[in-house]
Amino acid sequence: MKKLYSNKLHILIFLLPALILFCGVLIAPIAMSAYYSFFDWNGIGPAKAFIGFSNYKELFTSDSIGFMKALGNSLLLALLSVVIQLPLALGLALALGKGIKGERAFLSIYFMPVLISSVVIGQLWLKIYNPEYGILNVILRAIGLEGLTRIWLGDVSTALGSVLVPMLWQYVGYHMLLLYAGVKSVPPELREAAMLDGATDAQVNRYIVLPYIKPILRISVIFAVTGSLKSFDLIYVLTNGGPFHSTEVPSTLMISMLFLRNRYGMGSTIAVMLIILCFGFALLIGAIFKGED
Amino acid sequence: MKKILVLVLALCMVVSLAACGSSKPAETKQTTLKLWCIATESDANRPAYEQAIKEFETAHPDIKIEWEAFENNSYKTKIKAAMNDPETLPDIFFTWSGAFLGDFANAGVAYVMDDAYKPFAKDLPEVMLQNSTYGGHHYAVPLTMNIVTLFANMDLLAQAGWDHVPQTYEDLTACCDALLAKGIVPFGVSGSETWCVTEYLEPIIEKTIGYQDMNEIFAGRKTWNDPAIATAVNTLQDMIKKGYFDPNAMATGNDQAKINFIAGKTAFYQNGSWNCGEISDAAGNFQAALFPVMDSSKATYGQVIGGPNDALAVNAKSKNAELAASVAFELGKGICHYGYLAGSGLPAWTPDYDTSAVKPLVADVAKIVAESEGMVLFGDNAMSADPANTYLDYVSQVYGCLIDGDGFVAGLTKDLG
Repeated sequence: MKKLYSNKLHILIFLLPALILFCGVLIAPIAMSAYYSFFDWNGIGPAKAFIGFSNYKELFTSDSIGFMKALGNSLLLALLSVVIQLPLALGLALALGKGIKGERAFLSIYFMPVLISSVVIGQLWLKIYNPEYGILNVILRAIGLEGLTRIWLGDVSTALGSVLVPMLWQYVGYHMLLLYAGVKSVPPELREAAMLDGATDAQVNRYIVLPYIKPILRISVIFAVTGSLKSFDLIYVLTNGGPFHSTEVPSTLMISMLFLRNRYGMGSTIAVMLIILCFGFALLIGAIFKGED
Repeated sequence: MKKILVLVLALCMVVSLAACGSSKPAETKQTTLKLWCIATESDANRPAYEQAIKEFETAHPDIKIEWEAFENNSYKTKIKAAMNDPETLPDIFFTWSGAFLGDFANAGVAYVMDDAYKPFAKDLPEVMLQNSTYGGHHYAVPLTMNIVTLFANMDLLAQAGWDHVPQTYEDLTACCDALLAKGIVPFGVSGSETWCVTEYLEPIIEKTIGYQDMNEIFAGRKTWNDPAIATAVNTLQDMIKKGYFDPNAMATGNDQAKINFIAGKTAFYQNGSWNCGEISDAAGNFQAALFPVMDSSKATYGQVIGGPNDALAVNAKSKNAELAASVAFELGKGICHYGYLAGSGLPAWTPDYDTSAVKPLVADVAKIVAESEGMVLFGDNAMSADPANTYLDYVSQVYGCLIDGDGFVAGLTKDLG
C-alpha cells in the first residue's frame, strides 16, 4: 500500500475521475463565463465581438444597469444575516442545546422553513403582504393602526425590508441546526466543571461553548454572507427586483441581462463578479476568524 | 432426434401461419414534429391550440404534433436558451414578431418560410407578415393580431351618470372624476408588470404625436427628444396623481387586474384585445373602445397600438424544416380560426368560415381594426431586447412618478438616441 501511495502516477490515476468531474462541472463553466464576459454577444447565433474589459467598465459605471445598487442590496442582506439571522440562530441553538423539554419538536419546527421550497415560501409571503387581504394589513387595521398599512412589496420605501424579512426567516433554522450540532458536541464535563466553579449559564456559553463552536460559527458566517450575495429565488418570486429596481440583487440583474436584454456578455460579467465576490468574502471571513485565533 | 423433429414441425407451423396471413402494405411512417408555445391551461389561446392541433392530426394521420406549453415569462428565457442548441429547440416554436423574432432570423436559427407561404397566400394577406419579414424574407406564420383596447364596464359608468364610453380626453377625465365621487376606481392596471403600463402610455403617446412619428421612434429612425412625448407622459402622470388608477396596482399582477375589472372593482381596463373573449363571457355589460385623441392635429381616434404579433416559426436546423414550415402555416390558420371564434384574438388570416358566432366584443374590436387609420406595434416588440428593456425601465419610473415627462424624454434620448 505504501508503495502504491508513493507512486505519483498511481495517485494521479486515482484522482483523475474526480479531477475531470470537478473541472467539468465547476472550472469549465467559470472559465466559459469569464471568456464570454469579454464579448458583446446577444447569446443567439455565432456573431460576437471581442470588447475586452468594456463590460466590466460599464458594469461599475453605468447608472442604467444599476449593478452598484444591486450589490449594495446584497451587502445589506449579508450584513443583516450576520447581525440578525446568526444571533437568532445562535440563541435558539444555545437554548435548545441545553436539552429543554420538546427539544426535538422545536428543532423540527425551526428547521421546517429550510425544507420548504423558496417558491412556496414566496407565495406564502406574497399572501401575507397582500395590501387587501394580507394578514399584515388585516392585523394593522384590526388594532386601529390603519395608517401603518402599506403596499409592502409595491412601495419603494418598504419593498426591500419586506423582502429581507422572509429571506432572513427562511434560513434561521439552517444556521440553528449547524450551531446546535456544535453546541451538542461540547463535552459535558467541561460544562459541569464550569458549573461546579460557580459559572452562570451565560458565562458557560460565553467562555466554554462559543470558543468551542467557533469553527462552526465561521462556516455559518461564510454561508450567510455568500448565500446573501447569491440570493435569487425568493426575490424573484416576491418582487423580481422591483419596484423600480429597489430590490434588485446581482443574480436578478444577471437573469435580466442574459434573458431579457439578450446581453450575454454582460450577464457573464455579472456571473464572474459574483464568483469573485463570494470567493473574496469567504477568504476574508476565514482570515478574520484566523486572526482572532 | 425427437428435439429436431419438434423444431422442424414448429418451423413448418410458423411458415404455414405466415402464408395464411393476408399480405399487408407497409405501414406509413409517422413523422413527429415538436411544438413549443405559451398556450398554458390558463391561457386564452389554449382551446384554439387544442382544436387546431386535433383537427390537423385528424386530417394528417402521418404527422404527430408533440406540443408543450410554457408560461409566458419563463418561455422567453427558455426559447432564448434553446436557440444555441438545435437539438433542444423544437421543430416549430411560438414567437413574437418584431425585434424578438428578428434576433432569431439574424442569427440564422429561424427557417425562411417564403416557399411554404405561397400555397397559403390567398388566405393570408402579405401585409400580415410585415412584422415577421426581415431582409425581404418571411420568417414566421402570424396567428392572431391584437390591439390595445379600452374595455369599459358600462354598469359602473351608468352609476356615475355615463351611458357611453367617453370619446374625448375632457369627457374621460370628467367620467373618472364622477366615478371617483361614487367611490369607484376608474382604471385597473398592473403596476408591477411594466408591459401593462405601456398599454396605457403608448396609446396616449400615439394619440399625442401620431402613429407615423411613433413608428419612426420605435424603429430608431427618429429621436425620442420630442416635447410632445413629455406632454403625453405628463398626461398619464396627471391621471395617476388624480387617483384614477388602482392604488394597489404596484402589488397587483395583470391577471388580478383583469379579474378586478371583470368583478366590477374598476370601471376601465386598457389591455390587449386578446382579453375580449374572457370579458365577453363574464356577467356584465362591457364595451370596447379606444383611448381618446390628445392632439387632433397629429392623431386621430382610429390610430391603434398593436398588429399581428403572435406567430409560429420553424427551427432552421430541424431535420423536417420544410415539412414543419407547411405544418406551421396549416396550424397557424387553424389557431387563428378557433382563436377568433373564442375571442382570444383578431384574425390575421382572412376568415373562410361562418363568423356569425364571433363574440360581440371581438366583433366590436374587429370593426375598430377594420376602420383603423394607422397602427404601431407594441413598443417592447418593435424594439430589440436591450433597448426595449431600457424603454420599459423608464416606463416603470414614469408610473412610479420617479421621473416626469422631461426626465423620460431626456433619459431615453441619452440611452437610445
